[in-house]
Amino acid sequence: MERSFNFLAYLIYLPLVILVTWYVARTLFKNGRVFMLDIFNGKTEIAFATTRLFETGFYLLNLGFAFWIMNIYNNVEDNTQLLEVLSHKIGGFCIYLGVMLFFNLYLFFRGRRVARERARMQELPG
Amino acid sequence: MNILAYIIYLLLTYVITVHVGLVFYRNGRVFMLSLLHNDEQLTSFINKMLLTGYYLFNLGYAALMLRTWEVIHTWTELISSIATMTGKIMLTLAIVHFCNMAFIYFLGKRNNVILNAKV
Repeated sequence: MERSFNFLAYLIYLPLVILVTWYVARTLFKNGRVFMLDIFNGKTEIAFATTRLFETGFYLLNLGFAFWIMNIYNNVEDNTQLLEVLSHKIGGFCIYLGVMLFFNLYLFFRGRRVARERARMQELPG
Repeated sequence: MNILAYIIYLLLTYVITVHVGLVFYRNGRVFMLSLLHNDEQLTSFINKMLLTGYYLFNLGYAALMLRTWEVIHTWTELISSIATMTGKIMLTLAIVHFCNMAFIYFLGKRNNVILNAKV
């Protein structure tokens, strides 16, 4: 039973990480549809397809990363260590997720700006 | 314990691969339609071939990875090795996926059909 705390740590880590990723992806892409519609000039089909593709990629990338870094190499011996290790891992993952979130937001805003500039260029005569 | 780990791992990768493949299959159609100038028949043919190729590659790759597993003794090792291997597969899928999207984007930009297509 020497490694029971590691097992417990995995059991806490996995659902938490999946939940956080799901929540972030849902918030981001539910609100991102407006941007996508703007970017694709109101073409719903292409806009929704792109959103869905990005969402799938987002899940794959972040969950894959979360699973990949899960391994705890040293022995977790008591409750204090359990808390420390877990907070280190989950905190690190949350920061990574935040960076991804802001990167995505940047892409959304940039895409919208480019689309609007293009629309304005087309309105100009000549 | 290794057999159990293999079974869980194969089930997980199978579900993920099939689900992601279907998402690509349904949503990628729009892009291919505009790239191939609205040729329905050619699009559905190419789409099906791509899906089959995707399944073959990924399931084959997932099965190949079985050789690299170390011997598992405890439940803790079971969980950690399944998570690590599944994570690697998912990361590979994500990278390939974003490469594909970039490829389609640049192809569409060259043909200038996705953004400015007349619907």
